[in-house]
Amino acid sequence: MSWWESGRRRFFYVFCAAVAVVAVVFIVVQYGSSSETTLWLINQGRKYVEAPRWAAIGVVVVMLVFAYNVIGTAYATRRITGITAVLMIDLVPLVILYLDAFPAISNMSADLFWWWWLVHLWVEATWEVLIGCIMAWTLMQLLGTSRRIVETWLYIEVALVLGTGILGLGHHYFWIGTPNYWLTIGGFFSALEPLPLLGMVIHAIYDAGTHHMTTTNRPSFYWMMAEAFGNFLGGGVWGFMITLPQVNLYAHGTQWTVSHGHFAFWGAYACGVLSVIYLAIQKTRGLAHLEGTLWKWSFAALNIGLVGMVGALLVSGFAQAFVERAIGGSTHEAFVAGQENRWFIEGMVTRLVFGLMFAAGYVALVWDLLTIGRRAPILAAVEAAE
Amino acid sequence: MSEIGLLQTALLLGLYVALAGSYGLVYAIARLQETSILHRISFIIYGLHGLTAIAIIVWTPLQAGWKGLIVASSAAFLAIPPITWRFLQRTHETEVQG
Repeated sequence: MSWWESGRRRFFYVFCAAVAVVAVVFIVVQYGSSSETTLWLINQGRKYVEAPRWAAIGVVVVMLVFAYNVIGTAYATRRITGITAVLMIDLVPLVILYLDAFPAISNMSADLFWWWWLVHLWVEATWEVLIGCIMAWTLMQLLGTSRRIVETWLYIEVALVLGTGILGLGHHYFWIGTPNYWLTIGGFFSALEPLPLLGMVIHAIYDAGTHHMTTTNRPSFYWMMAEAFGNFLGGGVWGFMITLPQVNLYAHGTQWTVSHGHFAFWGAYACGVLSVIYLAIQKTRGLAHLEGTLWKWSFAALNIGLVGMVGALLVSGFAQAFVERAIGGSTHEAFVAGQENRWFIEGMVTRLVFGLMFAAGYVALVWDLLTIGRRAPILAAVEAAE
Repeated sequence: MSEIGLLQTALLLGLYVALAGSYGLVYAIARLQETSILHRISFIIYGLHGLTAIAIIVWTPLQAGWKGLIVASSAAFLAIPPITWRFLQRTHETEVQG
């Protein structure tokens, strides 16, 4: 094993340890004063960008190492495919937009204006392209779909997602002190966002049907299907309920948006990543096929748990928008009335119950990922037997 | 917007997209299995989607521009499944011939 190879492995473990440290600090340290020291060591104080500055610099380093790996591999093989070309172009905004995590602007409107470039554009545009590239490769490996077909669809879907997603940023510019024209721009482009998602659902059914749901890696295949449907439901249906300004005025910042955010993120990213992990297990271990019982339990528990949680949060969000915003007019008393509302409380309790189911599914998933490779037959042994 | 109007509008908008997705789902399964009954069901679902669009236009306090967008989106939702399906078939056919 070369120095670089062992170094990359070490980088991986350093990265995992850093993520664990950031998560533990974030969970344990919830209150306290803020200073230059806490900004560097504890929390940057901006929601979704909680990682302290040392960890944020680490994220940039990891992304640069990833970019080096991708570009270096393409250079070494003297071959750039459509997928690697899209990936390499995407790596530029992927690194640059994350630099938006560092400024500490004291004007809240100005801070939020740029902050959304990170939370929306970085996550919903550059990551969306990244996961598109990963899923295109997964489709080729999983179903044997030709590169030409996969790349044609990758170009179309990237164009549609970016076409609606970049100016869809406008729906985050509601009510933060930006000019009124953002209400029209944001509402319009967000309303277009379900259209490409419907195309993805059709594509998923076509692939599933023409292959008669047969594959050598069913866990990966099912998670890929879950991605298409989760993305449509979480991003499309849940998002469309609150994206037009007249509704968003009441729903903004309630558990309703939390419900949409969690569902969309689960569909767009988590399911896709799980699909790729199962595929990576099969490929790296040279397994003939992946199958079993445990993955089905974890798949069911995670998805039912997630749908239960976002459904419960939706009910709580309805109660907040109805009682606190529409009836109460967003006063402090209305906020308290919203928090004490029976529907709100029952929604949060139900979320906890389904959260426990989700946690059980997660434990089953981790155990399955750790053991499924040992249980599956090795490809070479199967070929020798045949 | 009244408090009841808020919930009505939001739920109708969610139902609107959910029915569009259901139409696409059933349409694709119908094409896959070549069954006319599923074809009919898919268009019934699209009809329900259309009724939801009418309900949004008639009952909700959204501004005219947004209502126009709902009508245009419904036309797009009708076209997306057949166009996508045809394009998928064509790319796979040319691949087999190539």
